[in-house]
Amino acid sequence: MTTPIEAGLLVFVLACGVAAALLRDVLASIIAFSAYSLGIAIIWVFLRAPDVGLTEAAVGAGIMTVLFLLTIAKTVRPAGERTFERVDVRALGVAVALVAVLSTTLFALPAVGAADSAVATDAVTEHYLENAYDETEVKNAVTAVLAAYRGFDTLGEAVVVYAAGVGLLVVLKKEAFE
Amino acid sequence: MTDDTTDPTTNDGEQDRPTSGEPQESADPVAEKPRESVDSVAEEPRESVDSVAEESAGGDELVAEEPPGPYVESPIIMATVRIITPFVFTLGLFVMFHGADSSGGGFQGGVIVGTVVLMLGIAFGIEVTREWIGPRLPVGLVAVGVLVFLTIGVGSVLLGGDFLEYEEYGIHHASKYGIELVELAIGLIVAGIVTGLFFVIAGGMADSEGDLA
Repeated sequence: MTTPIEAGLLVFVLACGVAAALLRDVLASIIAFSAYSLGIAIIWVFLRAPDVGLTEAAVGAGIMTVLFLLTIAKTVRPAGERTFERVDVRALGVAVALVAVLSTTLFALPAVGAADSAVATDAVTEHYLENAYDETEVKNAVTAVLAAYRGFDTLGEAVVVYAAGVGLLVVLKKEAFE
Repeated sequence: MTDDTTDPTTNDGEQDRPTSGEPQESADPVAEKPRESVDSVAEEPRESVDSVAEESAGGDELVAEEPPGPYVESPIIMATVRIITPFVFTLGLFVMFHGADSSGGGFQGGVIVGTVVLMLGIAFGIEVTREWIGPRLPVGLVAVGVLVFLTIGVGSVLLGGDFLEYEEYGIHHASKYGIELVELAIGLIVAGIVTGLFFVIAGGMADSEGDLA
């Protein structure tokens, strides 16, 4: 069911995530985070979600890494020789408990690729898959939903990006050139 | 156990450092203790790299050292960027346009187009690139993108249809071209935001040239 490549990717992503959290040097942490994003992007492709994978690779592994690197250029490297951050036991406990609680929902999910999952049998999904190609004349159903059926949502997203971006630009500009 | 799993990653990180040389230089101008040996062997190049790093990080000595600065930095990075920039730009546009027929779309393509500016900044100096691009272009792109999307969406309402009802425009294949135009608008927004964020975060280290506000 899970091929060795997928299992290896999962281990890689987990290791990168833990490393990003534990590494003391911020630069090393950013590199681990970038590797984590790349691994997740490949996992998305394995899960037949190339659109999401492309986004993750471009934003998570690409842009975010550059922005993080620019940001830490203003910081200094922590003193001392330790490679890893000390683990706060209480914080670790809270994190593990949260993951455990969320994991209980995993059993309610259908198997990957199951034909009888709600995603595949839902009436809305069926409608999109049956009519999208004829009605919107595009060959990518994801785009058809994004830019035609749910166009208003996408306009909202675009405006959110616009508002957040302009707000950040104004604030950072003020801070940077005060 | 934890150490076992994370150690290889750590080593990878260490090996990655020389390749990601430029960000590294600008990343920690303070903590350069491990590179003492490099200093003693080649003091001059080290110096110039330092000044370039400072400059690309928006340092104060921009005016004094601008002409030689970017060209001392790294011929390899500059040549690479010079060659691949048109291709990356084309790929970004392709992902934007072709998002209608294959995976991709405005968000992804916009990020890739924005990456072109990031690469130029890393290769030729962020301040130089910023002056070349100008402060208004990124914000202008974002505004144009939102306006185009809004116009397409509300335009069909004004013509008597529903929001984003492409058929109202009465063009041949209106839906297809409408969707591609919307993707292009989204791409403009994302590319503008990515570029603007890049410059403004890098500009945080400078104390001059606040000409946008």
